[in-house]
Amino acid sequence: MVNKMVTDIAVEMPTGLVQPEQENIDGIEYPKQTVGTPLLESSKMSMRNVDVFYGDKQAIFNVNVDVGQHEVIAMIGPSGCGKSTFLRSINRMNDTVESCKVTGQLTLDGEDIYSTKMDPVALRARVGMVFQKPNPFPKSIYDNVAYGPRLHGLASRRAELDEIVETSLTRAGLWTEAKDRLDQPGTGLSGGQQQRLCIARAIAISPEVILMDEPCSALDPIATAKIEELIAELSQNYTIAIVTHSMQQAARVSHRTAYFHLGRLVEVNETEKVFTAPEHQLTEAYITGRFG
Amino acid sequence: MTDLNKSRAERIQSSLAKRYRAEKRFQMYGYAAIAFGLLCVVILFTDIISKGYKAFGQTYIQLEVTYDASTLGITDVNDSQQLALADFHGIVKKALKSRFADVSGRKAKRDLYGLISNGAGYTLRDRLVANPELLNQTETLWLVADDDIDTYYKSIGSDAGAFTGRMSEQRQGWVDQLVESNDVEMRVNRNFFTKGDSREPELAGIRGAAMGSLFTLIITLGLSFPIGVAAAVYLEEFAPRNRWTDLIEVNINNLAAVPSIIFGLLGLAIFINFFHVPRSVPVVGGLVLTLMTLPTIIISSRAAIKAVPPSIRDAAIGVGASPMQVVLHHVLPLAMPGMLTGAIIGMAQALGETAPLLMIGMVAFIVDVPGGFTDPATVLPVQIFLWADSPERAFVEKTSAAIMVLLAFLILMNTLAVVLRKRLERRW
Repeated sequence: MVNKMVTDIAVEMPTGLVQPEQENIDGIEYPKQTVGTPLLESSKMSMRNVDVFYGDKQAIFNVNVDVGQHEVIAMIGPSGCGKSTFLRSINRMNDTVESCKVTGQLTLDGEDIYSTKMDPVALRARVGMVFQKPNPFPKSIYDNVAYGPRLHGLASRRAELDEIVETSLTRAGLWTEAKDRLDQPGTGLSGGQQQRLCIARAIAISPEVILMDEPCSALDPIATAKIEELIAELSQNYTIAIVTHSMQQAARVSHRTAYFHLGRLVEVNETEKVFTAPEHQLTEAYITGRFG
Repeated sequence: MTDLNKSRAERIQSSLAKRYRAEKRFQMYGYAAIAFGLLCVVILFTDIISKGYKAFGQTYIQLEVTYDASTLGITDVNDSQQLALADFHGIVKKALKSRFADVSGRKAKRDLYGLISNGAGYTLRDRLVANPELLNQTETLWLVADDDIDTYYKSIGSDAGAFTGRMSEQRQGWVDQLVESNDVEMRVNRNFFTKGDSREPELAGIRGAAMGSLFTLIITLGLSFPIGVAAAVYLEEFAPRNRWTDLIEVNINNLAAVPSIIFGLLGLAIFINFFHVPRSVPVVGGLVLTLMTLPTIIISSRAAIKAVPPSIRDAAIGVGASPMQVVLHHVLPLAMPGMLTGAIIGMAQALGETAPLLMIGMVAFIVDVPGGFTDPATVLPVQIFLWADSPERAFVEKTSAAIMVLLAFLILMNTLAVVLRKRLERRW
């Protein structure tokens, strides 16, 4: 970890379960403030007091968390806990959902993501996204990768575009498999290859942050292993936030892990710590498999 | 325990047999439905084709015609004024009189002159204008027979016997005489495909109505497809969900069910009486049919847009496409086959529509083939309606033939729809 954690009382306490101030909501004891080290001294992105509503229903409650530069942060939690919703708030994908409302402050390099000055299209060029189900466009492999750069005018000549496509596919670990069939439809690839194509498409516009929403949930173990390797490599150049259902995956790929429970961010800690010595009993219950 | 197992297996066996029987029955219902549909189509087509195919032939009579300048009353073939006044039917009469020299009496003569169509004079004029040296010359020509003769000649040898209708025995005799000397012949009815409507069945053609339909449909397609697609895209992709859009949606669905004659009245009140668009022209017909087709196109386009997987939209938004780029690059291309199908169904509907056009004057008797969007015109279904309403026996087969032309148009359009769909569909 490159980032220094903000010293927190909770960290200095001896290992084992701590009992910070709790509040009881619907029979569940939540910590009043996220335990562990949600906040960093220097961060790429920071979220403060984030609430997300779908119409009258609140999906995310007062989330405070930072994401460091070139860090992989994993978000885990039982189904319906709001981790995907939270992820989609980061690049304003939720704008397309009409009833969705996001309050609080989210910043990228200190710029407010939800301010009127921030253009959502420009934001999404900086914060790329990979989705749960591989969703290549029904176009050729080349066009899939070249789509983003073309949109944003990143390449002025064909050769430049070719280079972007090649580097993106190489970084996504797909170049050797795809270089002879660039003009063939992206949907003709296998599931794992499609997902790597989607990653190539996301990194072709050189975003600063990549959001991944359960990128491996539709893939077999071998394809999953490849994607995980890829995430580890990508983390040298990109900041990555990944939502996952698989705790093993979170343990393998991430530096820090955030545990969401029913819309509340319960704990954020170094991944190793979360999986060996969680600070909160809800986290412990989840990782030991008592629910999930 | 074994007993229990056995009875369980038996029960499954017997229920299996029952299920298979039910499945068979279900399949039979399907076959029966399709067979019934096909039978109806076959009956319809046999009826129409058996009645109509004869309209594509036309009876011609061979006569020796003399372009007699004194009978015609002209001195100069190139003088259009003289030509307009010239009595071309006179030389036809003369030719008939010389063929049947023994005919006398006013009534018998009128009957005789009625053997040849009134339109024969125009044929002779056109020939003379094209070949001025024919003046005062004689030539043997095939001339279009009158519709009564046509009907009679076509029915000779049929099971029901020859149809005489209002033909006198004397006329039948003349025709039989001509037939014996091989001076009567069936030829391809070119008039039917090249002429507009006429009071004389033997001169009436479908071209006027077909061109009218074509011009009207071009206007309809040109207006309703872009407007319909734009409305569908707005409603699906950009409009907020609120009471206003709900109201719009309900109204669009209502409009799709409004009887088409109402659209005719609307067109009459708004386009003709308020905006003073001329009556009976393809422009106003196209406008009215646009109103009628729009709901169909909007509804099918919305369904096609809805069917575009949201993951594609997410992917495009995720790499930073603006809402318009999402629509233009991804949603529209993927929805296009569905939208085109809807549009062609709408067009086929418009092609067959009669009621609203009656209200805006496209039911008029129009002889000239329309040459543009602002020429008075009628359309195929209205032409069918007009001919079906005419008393002359010869219009019966014309009606069926017009229906065949209309069906051919429909089949052509539907084939086009299938081809376009196949071509645009992305199966990857």
